[in-house]
Amino acid sequence: MTPEEKYELFERKISNEISIEEDQLLSQIIEDDQAIAEEFKTYQEWNSYLSSNLGLDTEKAQLANNLKNISDTFFTKETQKTKSKVIKMPSWGYAVAASVLVLLGVYTFTKSTTPIYNDFVSIPELSISERANTNEIGKKAEEAFNSNNYKEAEVFLNQLLEEDKSNSEYLFYYGISLVELNEFEKASEVFTTLQNGTSIYKYRAIWFEALNQLKQKNTDRCKVLLELIPKEAQDYQTAQELLEEL
Amino acid sequence: MGNNKVHADQKYIEALLKNDTLVLKEIYEKFAPKVVGYIKKNSGDESKTQDIIQETLMTIYAQAKEKKLVLTCPFDAYFFLLCKRKWLNELKKNNKQKVTINEEIVSIGDESEQYANETMIFEARNELFSEIFEQLGKACKELLKATFTIKSMEDVASKLGKSYGYVRKKKSLCIGQLTKMVQSSPKYNQIKNLL
Repeated sequence: MTPEEKYELFERKISNEISIEEDQLLSQIIEDDQAIAEEFKTYQEWNSYLSSNLGLDTEKAQLANNLKNISDTFFTKETQKTKSKVIKMPSWGYAVAASVLVLLGVYTFTKSTTPIYNDFVSIPELSISERANTNEIGKKAEEAFNSNNYKEAEVFLNQLLEEDKSNSEYLFYYGISLVELNEFEKASEVFTTLQNGTSIYKYRAIWFEALNQLKQKNTDRCKVLLELIPKEAQDYQTAQELLEEL
Repeated sequence: MGNNKVHADQKYIEALLKNDTLVLKEIYEKFAPKVVGYIKKNSGDESKTQDIIQETLMTIYAQAKEKKLVLTCPFDAYFFLLCKRKWLNELKKNNKQKVTINEEIVSIGDESEQYANETMIFEARNELFSEIFEQLGKACKELLKATFTIKSMEDVASKLGKSYGYVRKKKSLCIGQLTKMVQSSPKYNQIKNLL
């Protein structure tokens, strides 16, 4: 018997299309040959597998889908149960929450009247190009600074400072650029240097350092600095206004 | 097995076969929390548990459909054991480091264990058969898909424009090929006597 004939006989047996003679023949072969008996068993196993797996796609998909939905609902409920244990709030809690919200509103409202940097800052113009010995970088620095391009101004002023480290004018405008760029720490260093010096920018540097602190909402530090500004200083009046508001 | 009386929990097997939402919900409510607890204690989370439960239920369904699974023991222990083993296999597969298995002391009757073993073997067989089927040639795959989906061989023959005899012969050759392929697999030799 060829393998083809053997498999066709298996197929006829499984699909009940086998004749009495063929059935007897198959039974005989299976009894005599253990290998064929095993082969027939495996063939049946495949037939069973294929009919369950190839023909039931829709039914399987429907069950899988339904299970997924049931599972999602179940697990969401489980999670909510766990969560509600933690955040369950008694009814009076809502009243407390509402009061907190009202207070927050009042606080925010009050807060919004706190002075801010932009309300007080008045940036002076940089004019170095008027002087005869001004080089190309100086012009560029001035242009950038006066057009509020502090990023570029910082670069050019830095270049100017490399050549003239103790130039208080360059330092002062460099400091302002840094505050505008929110480089607070570097700005503080610059203003402290000026504050400790004897240049005409000594008190202006204190004023701008106070603004630097205001921008960072360091109110206390800001107040201390404002009090350091003497009556004769250019920014005294404005500093007093800011101090009052703080 | 099989000599004992059918257990009342057979209703859960029937629910899977009938896709009965009400009873399926009951499976989750009654049996899922224990599985969640076990998997969470053993390096897993809820999302993993969801997958494990879904896969386990689909396997039970497949076995019930194909092998007419009849429970003579409670569903609880059988189901839990299956989920637990599936999770441990998953951990092994991912070769997770530093996993401490926190074993729960569950008294599981021999019968539940025997049922669980059978389901595991059934699942292993399904995985192997699915792998081998994928290796089959395109022509055979399509012919088998047609014959097992359409059911009526006459319809398949007329659809393919071939004679009934031709289709049956081809079908037998394709299954014959699968038979040879699986018989040469060492994995099959391990599980065939348990089927």
